[in-house]
Order: sequence, then structure tokens, then C-alpha cells
Amino acid sequence: MIRLLRKIGWIKQPHDVISRNRAFFKNFDKSRPLADYSFVVFDTELTGLKSKKDEIIAIGGVRIRNLQIDLGDTFHCYVRPGKLDHTKATLVHKITPEQLKMVPPLEEVLPRFLSFVGTDLLVGHFIGLDMGFVNSATRKLYNGTLANSCLDTLRMAQIYKRVILGRYHENSTSAKDSYNLQSLSIEFNLPFFDAHDALEDALQTAYLFLFLAKKMQKYGVVSLSDLFSAGRGINWATL
Amino acid sequence: MVDSPRNRIGPPVPSAAGSVHAVAPDVAVTFLRQTMPFKDLADDQLYDLARHCRIDFFPKGTRLFTFNESEVTHLYLIQRGGVRAFITDEKGQTVLKDYRGVGANVGALGIIRGTKANLNIETVEDTFCYLIPREVFLDLVQNNSVVAHYFLKSFSDNIVATAYSELRKNKLARRSADDLYLFNATAGDMTKPLFSVSASASIREAAAIMSRQAIGSLLVYADEDPGAMIGIITDTDLRSKVIAEGRDTREAVTAIMSSPLKTVGSQTLCFDVLLKMMTTGIHHLGVERGSRVIGVITSHDIMVQQGNSPYYLFKEIGGQKDFQGLYTLAEKVSGIVRNIINEGAKAGNISRMIGLINEKMLSRILDLLHQEMGPAPLRYCWLLLGSEGRREQTFKTDQDNALVYEDPKDDSQRLLAESYFNAFARQATKHLLHCGYPACEDETMASNPKWCQPLTAWKEKFSYWINGAGQEEQLKAAIFFDFRHGYGTEQLAVDLRDFIIKQCRFNDQIARNFGRDCINRKVPLSFFKNVIIEQNGEHHERLDIKNRGLKPFVDFARALSLKHGIRKTDTLRRMKRLLVKKVVAKELYESMVDAFELQMQLRVIHQLSQIEDGIPPDDFIYPEELTDLEKRMLKDAFSVIEKMQDVLKKQFPVV
Repeated sequence: MIRLLRKIGWIKQPHDVISRNRAFFKNFDKSRPLADYSFVVFDTELTGLKSKKDEIIAIGGVRIRNLQIDLGDTFHCYVRPGKLDHTKATLVHKITPEQLKMVPPLEEVLPRFLSFVGTDLLVGHFIGLDMGFVNSATRKLYNGTLANSCLDTLRMAQIYKRVILGRYHENSTSAKDSYNLQSLSIEFNLPFFDAHDALEDALQTAYLFLFLAKKMQKYGVVSLSDLFSAGRGINWATL
Repeated sequence: MVDSPRNRIGPPVPSAAGSVHAVAPDVAVTFLRQTMPFKDLADDQLYDLARHCRIDFFPKGTRLFTFNESEVTHLYLIQRGGVRAFITDEKGQTVLKDYRGVGANVGALGIIRGTKANLNIETVEDTFCYLIPREVFLDLVQNNSVVAHYFLKSFSDNIVATAYSELRKNKLARRSADDLYLFNATAGDMTKPLFSVSASASIREAAAIMSRQAIGSLLVYADEDPGAMIGIITDTDLRSKVIAEGRDTREAVTAIMSSPLKTVGSQTLCFDVLLKMMTTGIHHLGVERGSRVIGVITSHDIMVQQGNSPYYLFKEIGGQKDFQGLYTLAEKVSGIVRNIINEGAKAGNISRMIGLINEKMLSRILDLLHQEMGPAPLRYCWLLLGSEGRREQTFKTDQDNALVYEDPKDDSQRLLAESYFNAFARQATKHLLHCGYPACEDETMASNPKWCQPLTAWKEKFSYWINGAGQEEQLKAAIFFDFRHGYGTEQLAVDLRDFIIKQCRFNDQIARNFGRDCINRKVPLSFFKNVIIEQNGEHHERLDIKNRGLKPFVDFARALSLKHGIRKTDTLRRMKRLLVKKVVAKELYESMVDAFELQMQLRVIHQLSQIEDGIPPDDFIYPEELTDLEKRMLKDAFSVIEKMQDVLKKQFPVV
């Protein structure tokens, strides 16, 4: 099945956007210090967690350059879902279906988001979920998926706590709750706020990323590849 | 990396749900809004500022700046965590300078002065900072008076005035705003009628109009549009740019005008107009209604509105015929303090004013006493000691006084004088008590026969303090060295002062003792999370502003005055003499004066608000009662003490 899809994908040439993206990351140099890379920390708001059925209704992102959050370089967009009957959304996200009708559909928002991201590295909290939705959108629209290197702050937090702080005893099931963004922010004493949209969630995640990246630097995690290999002991299943 | 210009997302899509906003997150704006001095910026300015910010994280122990090495490219605003500021002295010792926590900033001075970092800065906790780029920050300082006030403030600056007015606003204005013209009258209320002249008029024509209308300034309008004021000329311009430079008065008036005309809206409070004048140094402002200039307002116009109630009280005291009337009038004194604080008086002015009123009260009491007891057998002088001697009294504190009389010629005169003056002084202190000046606990009062003596006995006492007494005794006698004439024959006080100066010239032991005592005093350093931190790291929950804050200034001035033969007793005047004698440099002098006055002010306001709440006044200030600005000013004041200690160390080296 997968092979078949790939084949079709190969037959249907991926869109230029995807080809260029893939070419850029083909021989991507991961040996430089983290501060040399640009990151986009992003978050999506979804109608639910199932990538087949549910849809993106908002994307927020902030850029990190030189390991600093740039508040002047942010992205925030609501997205009109294809199916507007998700009544859940009105409760969870405080957006009424009426309001959602006024905003552009994903076909319009995605290109803007991709141009915002460019060839920056992507960062998210439990990023696999968000990337799943983004890639299913790029597959539809551009016939391919993004190759940008991704970093998961949840994984980074696990590495930081277990490998660096030596807290191996915390296994992921019993301590599951303590790895959500809110608990980590409080545990690490980060500036904390009641995020009320995707942009502010992305900002909260960015604080966490900065914290972890700079804390880990002190323990010898200096380059991007250091960061990737630091997680080798743990199962990195980002995509 | 791909190039990502700012705001590439473009303007917000106009939709009810606000679907796109390429602006900084609201939480960023919220943070700035909570942070001095940005909280006063308008919303759009805050959003704009937020867009230019970057957020950085510095783990505990990170060095942010290195003294004299780091270029300051950003202002650092602390969002979470804290830093310590320190320098390393020539011996390699670390000297702690400051702790700064959430909401405080780092780097402002370097940016404004265009110098490298003036302190070492290191994080003491995991710290998140907002970084405001240098240019953005400078732009704010230049274009926003509130921000400018906050950062440009050095103690010799006008900003102190803002700080004082903040103190008044925060602590006292609520009840009294009604009778305060500064906070009620607007620029429009005080505007002088408009006189203007065409830009093509000559200087002489303009001067003729000013002279004919008896006005000090004249607006200049554009030829093509008589409604558009393009500049202003003032008397000063005529003097400095025409007469002094020998300029031809047939030249166009535009050659000497100040342009463009600085304006304020007609609805601007006089208070804010004054602030603008103080910050810009421009004393003639155009007043605008809509976009039309309707007239001119000057600092003089505002100043002449000052009230005159202290003067009224002063005259009334002089007219009282009996003691009871004086007791009643004495109750009005704290009301006077409130009034003149509200009118913008600094603590220095307040205590001088109160000093005058107290002296008037004293002289009236003694006048009435002489009417009762007959004239004194010998000439005498009533001496004021301690804070009264220094003219630093505000609220009625303990009586500290003494009496010196002419040396009696023989035993019978001696006995007569003793009995007269002892009785006289007892009566006097009793009446003072009824006027609300409490008795001194250790009876440093003229009613105590020990302190009611002929001149020779006083000289012996001072000679003993200067030449014979031990350290402890000398320190205890300090308030006597602040004596001044309060009533009676001033010459006696002058003779006594001459004697002391001569003695101290031969023996500076007591000056040295006072000076070393001041050097050894612990100095408060900073506020951090609502405690006061001292140089040695000790913490205190409250600040004893009298002993920790003000006393070092008083002691400093007294010690050096004794060493340098200065007769003055007021701390501020002593400082002035020390400047004239080049014992202290101008810069230090100015910061000492401001630091001292500021703390006096803070104390007066603290005590006044206690009195009004029915609490007996004290000298304890809790950090949580202070605004950010007040804390900051106090911190600056503390830092001056250190510099004074350095001067004392040079003046009184350890032998």
C-alpha cells in the first residue's frame, strides 16, 4: 500500500515547492552550532486528533534566530475547515463556526505558512502530531511532504530530564502528564501565560525550546547533530 | 537559511474574526505594559515596541556584560529570573553593586551614554529577557517624555522633579486634587492671548510689537498662511541673538526665531505642561486647540499661581497675644506641610519653611515669657540643636535645645542668672510641649541645668568633647555640634562657633571620629523581591530611612565641616560650602543634594500619610509600599553614600 502510494507519488511529480525543499535538505549540514540555525516554533489548532478525519483550524508560529525569539517575525492564521460541522471546535477553541466561515481555507493558508517557514528547522511540542496534519495537507496540495528537520520539545525535555539530570526512573507512562507543555513550563519556571491561541502556544513552546537548548549546551549539546544524537537512547519518532 | 523579512505576512486580513495578525503576541504586549516605564505607552506604541523585541534565555551564572568591554547593543528587560551587578576593584575584589529582578532592566546607561557596559552583569537565576535593540530604545527615549524621564534621570537631572511629582500623585493627591491648580487647570486656562507677526517682518518690527503689547514672546506665522505658526521669538532671543551678536535689526525675524514652535494641547494639565517645559528646557510653548495655535503659555504663568498659606500662618503667629492662641496655631503646621508638598515644594524647601515657622513660634513664646517674667539679667542665646539646628525638621520631633548666656561678672550675678534662666527655660520648654514639640527623652533641653550655662562653661564642654572625650562620648555629643541661634543675642552663638572652629583646627580628632563612624556604616544597596539588600548581602524587610538613609549624609557633612572650619549647620549648606572649598567635586555634590532631598521627601510623605491615617509617624519604609520609580530613586540615593564614604576615606586616612 505504502509502496503503491509512493509509486503514484513518483509518477505524479511533486510540486516545485516540495522538490526545492527536499533538495535543500538532501545534504543538510547538521554539524554547526544551534545558534547558526533558524527555527520556526509552531503549533496548530485542530478539530480533533485523527489526521484522517480532523482538520487544522489555526496555525501559529514564531521564529528563533541566533537562539532568540523574534517577536517581530511571527505567523498566525485561522483556517476554514472543509467540513464546518465540527461543533466541538466551537467549544474547544472558542471560535464560532460563523467566524470560521470568514477565514481563508487551508489551500490559501498553507502556501503562506510554507513561505514563512522556508528552510528553517521546525520545532513543536509533540511535533509529530502537527507535522502529520501539515504533511497530509502538503501531500494533497503539493504531492509530497516537507523535509525540514524537526525537533520535538517533548523529546528534548525527556532527554534533558532523564539523560542530563539523570532522572531515568521517570518512565514515560507514569510521568506522562508532567510532560505536557503547561507542566514543563511550570517545572522549569518559564514565563508562563494562559495561551489562548496557536500563536501564544507556539510562543510558550519557544520558551521551552530556548530553555532546553541553552541548558543542554552546558552539557555539551552544542551542534544540531549533538542534539539529534543526544536523543539516540530514546526512540525519536518524530515523523 | 532563507531570507525572511519582517512582516512578510502582510497586513491583517480584514475580517470579523481577525483571521491573520502578523503582530506580536498579546502576552508580549501584556508584559511590556506591566513594565516600567513602558506601561505608559499607548497601545499601538506597545505593539510596535513588542514587534522589535527579541526574547533570550540565560541560564543561571551567565555573564551578560563585562565592565568596560561589552558593547551594549540591546536594552535587557528581565521577564523571569534575576541578575546581579558588580564590579571588580583594583585589588581583584568583587564589589556587589545591585540585584535586579523581574521588570528591571540592564544596559540603559551604556546605550544612552554610548559607552561600553559600566558594570559586570551576571544572572543569579535562570533568566529570560526581552531585548530591545539600541536604536529602537534610543528612539523611544527621544520621542517619549515618560520613557525619557525614566531613563535620562541622573540625580542632577530635572527628572527628579517628575519623581517628586510621582510621589505626590501616588501618596497624597487623592484627597487634595481638588484644590491643586497644577492638576486641575489646563494649558487653555492659562493661555495668554495670541500675538503674531509675519515671517517677512523685520526683527525691529517684531520687537516693536512686543514692546507695545508688553509681552515676552511673539509667534511668527508663515506668509502664505497666517494661521500656521512656524516659530517663536522671545525676549531672550532679542537679547542673545540680536543685541549680543550685534545683528542688524532690519534682518527678517525668521533669522532669530526658534522653529518649529513646540506646542501643547489646550486640554493638557498645567502639571504636564510644566513637565514638558522641564524636560525640553523650553519655557514658551504654543497652546493648540484643534490644530490651531490659540496662544502661548510660559512657565512664569504657571508659577505665579502658587499659594501663600505658610506666609499667612507666619504672620498670625507673630500677632498672638497669649499662649493659648499659639497652641491652636501650632496645630496648623502639618496642614502647611501638606499644602506646600502639594504645591510642589521639595523637602529642602519644606524644612526651611517649617524652620521659619518654628522659629517664629519660639520667638513669640519667649517674647510672651519675657512679658511675664521681666527681661533677662544678662544677654543670652537660645540654641537649637540636632535636626532643628540643621533646619531639617519637618514634623514635630523631640525638642533639642540649649541656652547660653553671657559670663556673669560676679557671684551674685551668677546666682541671679542661674535662677532666672533655669526658670525661664523650664517655662519655655513647657510651652513648646503644649505647642506639640515633645520633650527630649534624655533631656537634651535648656530646661536641664546642664544645658543652660554661661558661655565659658559651654566652651569648656566643647573643649572637652573635642580634646578629651572618648569616641562614644564624642558620637553622643554630635547633635550639639549642629547648634544654631534660635532666639536672643546671636553673637553668643557666633563666639561659641568661633571657639569650636579654632579648637578643631588644632585637633581634628572629633571630625575624624565622626568621619570614620560614617565610613563604617553599612549601606543599603538595592531592593530585590521586596527585601532590602545590603552590601554584605544582609537582608532587611524594612528601611530605616532616618538612620540608614539620611544619617550618613548628615554625618558626612558634619565631619567634613568640622575638619574644614565650616560654620553652617544645615546639611545642604554644609555640602555647598564643601563644594566651594573643593572638598567635594561638583558631580558628587549634585548627586548628594538630590539624594538627600529625595530621601527627606520620601520620609516627609511617608510621615504625612501616617499622620493622616492617624498613625504616629515613624521612619520605617517597607519596600512593598514603594513604586518601582521610588525604589529606583532610593537605590540611586544609596549609591551616593558609597561615594561619600570614599571621600571620607581620603579625608580621614587610617594612620
